Amino acid sequence: MGRFKLITKAISIGRVTEKYPFVPLEVPEGFRGKPVIDPEKCIGCTACSNACPPQALQVYDDLERGVRVVHLFIGRCIFCARCQDVCPTEAIKLTKEFELATLSDEDLHQIVELQMVRCEECGKPFDTFRHLLYTAKELQPWEREMMFLCPECKAKKVSEKLIFGKGGGYV
Amino acid sequence: MILEILKSNNAKILRHDEKVTVALVPNDKLRTTAELLFKAGCYYATGAGVDERLLGVGFSMYHIFNCEAEGRYIIIKAVASNLKIPSITPIISGANWAEREVMDMLGIFFDEHPEPVRLILPDDWPEGVYPLRKDFRYNERPPRVEFEQKREKKPGVIEVPVGPYHPALHEPEMFELYVKGEEIVGAVYRGFHIHRGMEKLAEGRMTINQIPFLAERICGICGYTHNCAYVQAIEDAAKIEVPERALYIRTILLELERIHSHMLWLGVAFHLLGFESGFMHTWRIRETFMDLAELLTGNRKTYGMNLIGGVRRNIDENKKKGLSEILDKTKKEIREIFDNATQMRELINRMEGIGVLSKKKGREIGVVGPTARGSDIDTDVRRDHPYAAYGDLEFKVPIYKDGDVLSRFLVRYEEVLESIWLIEQALDQLPPGDILNEEYELPEHTICVGATEAPRGEDVHFAIMGEGNKVYRWHPRAPTYNNLPAVPIMLKGEKLADAPIIIASIDPCFSCTDHIVIVDGEKVYRCSLDNYLGGL
Repeated sequence: MGRFKLITKAISIGRVTEKYPFVPLEVPEGFRGKPVIDPEKCIGCTACSNACPPQALQVYDDLERGVRVVHLFIGRCIFCARCQDVCPTEAIKLTKEFELATLSDEDLHQIVELQMVRCEECGKPFDTFRHLLYTAKELQPWEREMMFLCPECKAKKVSEKLIFGKGGGYV
Repeated sequence: MILEILKSNNAKILRHDEKVTVALVPNDKLRTTAELLFKAGCYYATGAGVDERLLGVGFSMYHIFNCEAEGRYIIIKAVASNLKIPSITPIISGANWAEREVMDMLGIFFDEHPEPVRLILPDDWPEGVYPLRKDFRYNERPPRVEFEQKREKKPGVIEVPVGPYHPALHEPEMFELYVKGEEIVGAVYRGFHIHRGMEKLAEGRMTINQIPFLAERICGICGYTHNCAYVQAIEDAAKIEVPERALYIRTILLELERIHSHMLWLGVAFHLLGFESGFMHTWRIRETFMDLAELLTGNRKTYGMNLIGGVRRNIDENKKKGLSEILDKTKKEIREIFDNATQMRELINRMEGIGVLSKKKGREIGVVGPTARGSDIDTDVRRDHPYAAYGDLEFKVPIYKDGDVLSRFLVRYEEVLESIWLIEQALDQLPPGDILNEEYELPEHTICVGATEAPRGEDVHFAIMGEGNKVYRWHPRAPTYNNLPAVPIMLKGEKLADAPIIIASIDPCFSCTDHIVIVDGEKVYRCSLDNYLGGL
C-alpha cells in the first residue's frame, strides 16, 4: 500500500530541483564565500596569516622594494573566516560569492602591497606605515621618539640609554 | 574498582579525575592489567604510539580503554625498552590494528604479536623509515623501493572485487569477495588507500586553534563531531570552562549533523535496495537540514563553528524561530516517508535476517554506534560520557536485538526522530550568556582525551599538549576503524547480490578510517583480516 501513498506525495510536492545556473541562487546572511581584502583598510599586521589554518594567506616582506606583501591564494582557502575574526581593522571580509571556478590561475590570487618604513638608524624596512600609525595610538609619549627605529636598533638604543644614563624614560 | 586493578599491578597513577585516568604500567604487568580491565567491562577504544624522546622518556604506547560503567576513559601507558613492548593483541583482538599502526609509523615492536606485518605503509615504502617519529619532517618524501606483490589464489572459488571505489558510497575501499555459486564464502578488506598525513601536519605545522579546522576535514559527512572531540580533548587538558550557551549550540549542531548523516545513509540504503523513489524523497528532506546548517553556520558542511573554549557564532531569535518551524514540518514528512517504507514487505524482506552480527562477536571486535546498537549492545557516548549539553537533555537510545541490516536501519530511523527531539529541547532551554571563553592558559605535556558519539559511533581523540601553542601528539580514531572488521563476518554465507547493502549497513566512512595513513595511490596493501578474525 505504501507505494501508492508515495506517488500521491510526489505529485503533491511537484518539482524540487532548482533552475540554478539560469536563475541565481540565494545564500543566507553570514554565508562564508570568497574572501576579499580591502587594500584601503589593510595595515599589514600579519594577524590573518597567523590565524589562517591552510596558509592561504601569507604575509612577507620584500626588503629590496621596501613593501610588505599580503598574498591571498583562494586555491588553498577553506572558507573558515578566521581571518575575518582576527582582523583588527575589518579589512578582510568573506563575501557571498561562491562561483569561483576559473580558467585563469590569476583570478585566484589577491595581492596587496603596503609601503614599509625604513629604520632611521640602519635603513632597513621594518614595519608598514599603516601598522606603525595604528600602534602609535597606544604608545606612551616617551616611546614615540623611538618609533622609527627597527626592533634591533631600538633594543640597542635602550641599552645605551640604560648604560650611559642620559635620562631616558626607561630608567 | 579501576584504581584497585591498576594499583595491584604496580601502576603509577599519572592523572586521575572525573573523566580520565592515566597510569604508567610496568611492561611485565601490561598484559595482566589489560586483561583485568577488559574483564571488568572496559572496552578497547584505540591505541596511540608517541615518540617521547624530546620529553626524555623514549618511545611509549598508550592503550585507551572505554569504561562505560564509570563513565571514564582509562589510558594505560607503557614505555618501550629497546623499542619493544609486550603485545596485548593475544588477549584483546581489537588492539591488532592499533599496534600494527604503531609498528608502521613509529617503529615500536610488539612481542608476541600474532600478525606482525605492515598495515598502513605501502609495500614501496623503505624499511626503517618511520614517519611519525619526531626526527622525520612533515614535508619529507623518502624514495620508493621495489617490491614483489604477493597474491595467493584460493582454489575452487571465484574472486569478485567490490571496489576500489564503493559502488554507492563513492569512497575508496576494496572488498575481495570469494564466491562459490551465489554464496559468499569469504571476504577480505583491502584498505588504507588514502594518504593525508593529518597527525604529522597537526604536530608539525599547526597551532592549537588551527587544528579544529583540520579535524573537521577528517570526514566529509560527520566532520563536526571530530572537530568537537578534538576541542573537548584540549578543553579537558586545560580545564577550560565552556559557556553553557556554547555547549547547547554545539549540541544543536551535532544533532543536526546526525540527522543529515542518517538521512543520507537511509537514502543510500533505499538506492542500494532498488527503491529509487524512497531515495529521492529522503534526500529531498535531507536538503532542508543542509539549508538549516547553512543558515546557522554559514556553510552546508564543514561548519567551522568551534574554537577552544566555545563556539564562533550565536543563534539569535530569528534563527531559533526559523529552526523550530522547519523542524516541525520535516518531522511529519520523515514519519510519512519511513512509515510507508517500513510497510513495504518487498523492501523489508531484503533487509530482514541479512548480514547478521551476533552480540558476542560484536563485543569481541568492539563495534560502536548504530552497528553495535543493532546487535543488542547498549552503548552510546552521549549517555555514558556526557559531553556538550547531553547531560541536561532527555533522550532514548534505541536498541534492536536481531543484529541484521533491518535492525541497523531501524536504529538509524529512530535516532533521526530522537535527534529532532533533542534539538527541540536544546532550543527551548537555550541559556543566555557568552559563547566563547578565551581566557585560559594551556598546560604543557598534559595527556587528554575527548570523545563524541558521531553518527557512525564513538570518535576518540587522544592528545598530548606541547609547548608554545602546539600539540605534541594528536591521534584521532574514527568509528569505522572499529566497525570495518565486522563486515567480513556479516558477509560470510550471504548471497552476492546482498553484498552492497551489507557493506553499506555499517555506514562505512573509509576516508575517516584512512585519514592517518601513508599509502601510494596505485599500489594497495593487503591487510588480511583472515588471520585477524580467526580465518574465515
